[in-house]
Amino acid sequence: MSEKTLLKGNIAIAQAALKCGCSCYFGYPITPQTEIGEYLSLKMQESGLGYVCAESEIGAINMALGASSTGAKVMASSSSCAVSLMQEALSYACSDELPIVLVNVMRAGPGQGYIYPSQGDYNQSVTGGGNGDYRIIVLSPSNVQECIDLTYRAFYLARKYRNPVIILLDGLLGQMSEAVEFDDNKYDEINCSNWTLEGAKNRPSRKIHSLEPSSNKLNNHIKKMFEKYSIIKEKEADWEEYLTDDANIIVTAFSTMSRQAKALCNYYRRKGLKMGLFRPKTLWPFPQKRLAELSKKADLIIDIEMNMGQMLKDVELSVLGNSKIEFIGKPVGDFMKIDELVSRTDEILRRTDVSLSHS
Amino acid sequence: MNKSLLISGAGGQGIVSISTIIANIFMLSGKFVSLCPCYGAEMRGGAVNCEINMSDSEILCPQNDEVDFVVALNQTSFDKFINKVKENGTIIVNSSLAKINKTRDDIKYIFAPLTQEALKLGNIKTTNSIALGILSKLLGNLSIDNVKKAYEKILKDKKELIQKNIEAYLLGYNYIQEGN
Amino acid sequence: MLVYRTPKTIKENSTFTFCPGCDHGIAVKLVANVLDELNLRDETIAVASSGCSVFLYNFLDVDCIEAPHGRACAVATGIKRAMRAQKKENFVFTYQGDGDFASIGLGESLHSALRGENITAICINNTNYGMTGGQLGPTTVLGQVTTTSPLGRNKEYHGFPIKTAEHIALSDGTSFSARVALYDIKNIMNAKKIIKKAFEYQKKGLGFAFVEILSSCPTNWKLTPVESHNKIKNELTKIYPLGIFKDVLNE
Repeated sequence: MSEKTLLKGNIAIAQAALKCGCSCYFGYPITPQTEIGEYLSLKMQESGLGYVCAESEIGAINMALGASSTGAKVMASSSSCAVSLMQEALSYACSDELPIVLVNVMRAGPGQGYIYPSQGDYNQSVTGGGNGDYRIIVLSPSNVQECIDLTYRAFYLARKYRNPVIILLDGLLGQMSEAVEFDDNKYDEINCSNWTLEGAKNRPSRKIHSLEPSSNKLNNHIKKMFEKYSIIKEKEADWEEYLTDDANIIVTAFSTMSRQAKALCNYYRRKGLKMGLFRPKTLWPFPQKRLAELSKKADLIIDIEMNMGQMLKDVELSVLGNSKIEFIGKPVGDFMKIDELVSRTDEILRRTDVSLSHS
Repeated sequence: MNKSLLISGAGGQGIVSISTIIANIFMLSGKFVSLCPCYGAEMRGGAVNCEINMSDSEILCPQNDEVDFVVALNQTSFDKFINKVKENGTIIVNSSLAKINKTRDDIKYIFAPLTQEALKLGNIKTTNSIALGILSKLLGNLSIDNVKKAYEKILKDKKELIQKNIEAYLLGYNYIQEGN
Repeated sequence: MLVYRTPKTIKENSTFTFCPGCDHGIAVKLVANVLDELNLRDETIAVASSGCSVFLYNFLDVDCIEAPHGRACAVATGIKRAMRAQKKENFVFTYQGDGDFASIGLGESLHSALRGENITAICINNTNYGMTGGQLGPTTVLGQVTTTSPLGRNKEYHGFPIKTAEHIALSDGTSFSARVALYDIKNIMNAKKIIKKAFEYQKKGLGFAFVEILSSCPTNWKLTPVESHNKIKNELTKIYPLGIFKDVLNE
């Protein structure tokens, strides 16, 4: 355990990447994630590592694709509208089974939107913005310390499952500073030598490709990918619960929005309501089973997001009618403050009469 | 204890640096702390502001509609953030660059000619440190050791400035005692 | 006695699947010959692209990755930078069509050249999109009939074709840029020499090396292989002159 330092989310991710041996970074500037590339530019050049100020996000993610094929630990970062440009290569990377860590520090959309914090890329991340059947592991930190921990985890999972991993956070967390400590990276090193390209010395040559003219082979390849995905679903779902033991009202939220949601729980607990928080740390795989269990004991689920209701669909698929679901969202502009959340929650409680039966 | 502060001023007035120093002082005092820089398009010029939250427990709301203390180093930020001060909260205003004007009677005003004081000290860039001194006095319980450590950490590449800033900090710290 | 041998770097028992008379087969074989001669097989990572050139990895016995359409030079950049970061010996080349290199991938290609990325790019210029059945591409010449320029390429309507090798030569990061053809033995021998040079320049660490190969596409040109080679010799070389446009070791 090192001493505490005050770090921005973006810088924390950059430092954590270096700590777990990231040897290549490719990026293009876009607010609010630019500090990641700025920080790494000096450190990586000084250490003789691979860093390119790419000509575009398309260039950057394809450089990451090439670099990861050699077995190097690779990271790229971008934001929302520019992550859209990377979707083609992410689809390739899934089919090629290449480990790439991509950081998306979200801004508001659609289109260019603006640099306000937002959570509008949930769907793009978890359902895949590229073509074909594939899945990307999506990790979502809610504070700066978790930016570090989940960066370690992202590099580990990417190599363990040979799949891209997205670290998804909103702009507020990327820009916000908090006191953090750097634990040692506790994850095992994954040996990749059985698939990497580095020249076919003393072994048969290897090829990494997604093109497959044989429908039989292509079917089998996708089947194999999905067998892998079901293992990931089984083993890697991760979440945080807060005051859920006796809760009959469950709030669901991810990334920084979950902090306000915790404050909301505290507020209503003081008023005698049994409110608790369920926060997925993995957005894919979504911790569906646990939320389903919790929803059986709950009268009401309130999903809170900085968008128009994207995780809501996964919440609905988990709850499956076990309890009522309400949504509070705001896609653009200010981060939702506690007063706004309380007034919108009060309105829901009045309308659904949940508070009356339990307060 | 929970405290929320908003530090504001013009680009070049050292808003981000002084906010980072405050956040470090809180961190060194063993508190939870969050610092959110102004999140807007204003890369330079215009108003710059940072919100800092300090607490004994996890900080759940890093951005708030109202804060306990506002520091406004120029007229624009005084006008912009006067209504962000909580009832019974305090605003510290740099009266060298903002007109003395009390529009609210539910908050405490501290007007101090910070820029002039900084010029007297021989370095206009210590304006923000004088403000921090005043703020410290109001917050209470900040150890001067931690203040020094925070300055040494943030100004480690500009060591020559540390002493001057601590001097400015102490000037601010003692400012209110002098009957202001 | 002259005995023909398949290059060592061509996979055993592999059969080219290119159309009859297509120059891709010759180009791949020349690349294999040069890899043999420079003894590069064990350290090579080839980057294939989209279009007919993608099949490279079925024929060449080297490590190979397929890049998304147009992104071969970016993928090669990533490989090269990653290998350098890991301090491993390596040789990286791309094998692309003209649509891949100079249309959809022009940004990636040109910026790799501008960065002086130490890779070699081979671009097969057959003046159309071959795999999709012969559509107008960046190199389709004025007057040329394709399935999307049925009245012939018209400068007012379709705009002009790109002289890729000359453009790449303008970049300060380019160490070598040349255009060759494969329509007769003399040109094939010269093409091999030029490819070898472009590979050697990478080994010398001189920066981006580029070879554009004028190639036939009898299927889409609707000509016999012989007519196709005559067309390259008599028409295309007038528009796309053969030669070396940049050579940092001979300036």
